[in-house]
Amino acid sequence: MVEEVVRLELVTRDFYDGKQLRTVLKKTDLGIIPGELTVLAGPSGSGKTTLLTIIGLVLKPTTGRLFIGGDEVTDKSEDERACIRLRDFGFVFQQAALVPALSITENLLVSQAIQGDRVTRELREQAHRLLSELGLSEHGDSKPQQLSTGQQQRVGIARALIGDPMILLCDEPTSALDVESSRIVLDALKTISGEGSRAVVLVSHDPRVFPYADRLIKIEDGSIINDTRHPGEGVQDEESY
Amino acid sequence: MRSITALRMLLYDRATTAGSVLGVVAIIFLVGQQLSILFGLLNFMSVLVDHMPADVWICTVNTENVNSGGALPMRYLDRVRGVDAVEWAEPLVRTGGLYSLDDGRFTGLQVVGLSRPDLVGGPWRFHQGSIDALLDFDAVTADRMDLDVLGYPEIGSVSEVNRVRVRIGAITQSIRGFEGTLVFTNIDKAREIGNVGADQCSNILVKLTSEADPADAVRIIERVLPNTAVFRSSELSSSTRSYYLTNTGIGGSIGFSTIIGTLVGIVIITLTMYTTVLNRQKDFAVLRALGARRKDIAITILFQGLIIAGVGSVIGFFLLAVFLYGTMDSSLPTYMPLWLPPIHAGFTVLLCLLASVLSMRRATRVEPATAFR
Repeated sequence: MVEEVVRLELVTRDFYDGKQLRTVLKKTDLGIIPGELTVLAGPSGSGKTTLLTIIGLVLKPTTGRLFIGGDEVTDKSEDERACIRLRDFGFVFQQAALVPALSITENLLVSQAIQGDRVTRELREQAHRLLSELGLSEHGDSKPQQLSTGQQQRVGIARALIGDPMILLCDEPTSALDVESSRIVLDALKTISGEGSRAVVLVSHDPRVFPYADRLIKIEDGSIINDTRHPGEGVQDEESY
Repeated sequence: MRSITALRMLLYDRATTAGSVLGVVAIIFLVGQQLSILFGLLNFMSVLVDHMPADVWICTVNTENVNSGGALPMRYLDRVRGVDAVEWAEPLVRTGGLYSLDDGRFTGLQVVGLSRPDLVGGPWRFHQGSIDALLDFDAVTADRMDLDVLGYPEIGSVSEVNRVRVRIGAITQSIRGFEGTLVFTNIDKAREIGNVGADQCSNILVKLTSEADPADAVRIIERVLPNTAVFRSSELSSSTRSYYLTNTGIGGSIGFSTIIGTLVGIVIITLTMYTTVLNRQKDFAVLRALGARRKDIAITILFQGLIIAGVGSVIGFFLLAVFLYGTMDSSLPTYMPLWLPPIHAGFTVLLCLLASVLSMRRATRVEPATAFR
């Protein structure tokens, strides 16, 4: 039995939209294990990004309990949650979301040194190694805007990996990419999840993603309506989605 | 890395950063030049007291500033000289005068008459000639800054003050009084110019012995000369400065323009820094999502405030130095005491940090979840 790195128990999330209270995530139980690429799929507004941000300790659940690596983190303070995010999570955003003022290498380093830690030689070497692995070694001193969208997204993945996180959370990482760039990014994410020690959770409604999924969780109207595993083979039949 | 991030963001947003730096330059330069003019004027106000070697000034009763007051009887001089704590005492005659120009016009000046042969309290900086020139009965000084007002007299040239013959004996260097051109001469010539009797003087300057307690000495002199005002030099200097600051509106005027300069600077810094944060909200949200705490964002903004303050201060003080150098020997009174720049810089840094508070509040309130929208 593989130990879950993330565990949600009866988690809900309400939002007040200025007029009324809306429950965007209904009572959800979910466990995430390492070595899997889990895809959260569903239509816009279904609550999949809300679920992702709750898993990543960005949003607090309204009710329910949340465990990371076996430790309950539901009531952790904002600063404690920030420290856990820094230590245990890597984030890949929809449009890379690199800081344009920083160079590519600095974008990687800032994710680890933003709490004031020194940038060590090891960290710098790790940044160079990750960029090299993702085919971006010659762009270390470039600014994000000098790179293509696909290259920026790969930098986003490198940034998410630099702290060697336990969990990688990706929010529609291929939505802005062409077919070839999407393939490169998804191959990279699949490889990362296949290393076994890390869980990858990916939010997407892009059918190109499904063949890479070891586990496909379908969400509609704030509830998980289907949760299937396809270890190694991915979801081959789009109809099943 | 927070400091590097702060610097990189500032360099990236060059236009708004330049605006913020301009705000600091405005504070440093505008406030600095206003204060330097204020201190220059203060020096003019009390120039005689500050440069004369006396410890105690004896003036007529109810005197508030050194440039006012009436006549003291010369017999007081012997009484003062009889006090044990007094090393020496010398009379000083001050009077107004009208200097006759070659074209028939007149210009007002303040005449200071010094007791011969010691000429205690005489001019302290010379462009041409020396104080010994004032031993000559007709000799007066003219200041280099006032030469144009006096029609460019040369040493040895003869003119009149109050229709009394005077000869330029020396040219002083940057010695001016608050109430106009200062002309030094010997006490006898000053009496002739001002029609002051030989039994009268304007002030008595007193040097105390090294063993004397100044406060005790003042009390003793007050007892010996009951109908006079007896000041220690520092008291008369500050009393003179307070008098002019409060009675001429200079203090209020310069204070007002200083406050305006400061406010303009703060507004510029606040608005430009706030604009930068508004433009970079997405970046701060991403940093927060990656693991930055609110305090990390606040420190980043704080670094930005410090960098802006540092760069702006360097530019501002450079411009201020150019201004002070350019006005050093001009008729514009400017003076910057050495203790003022560090305080001015510290105050500006503090203002800069205060101005960054609004941006800090905005940046730290950015929710990390917005990085996912």
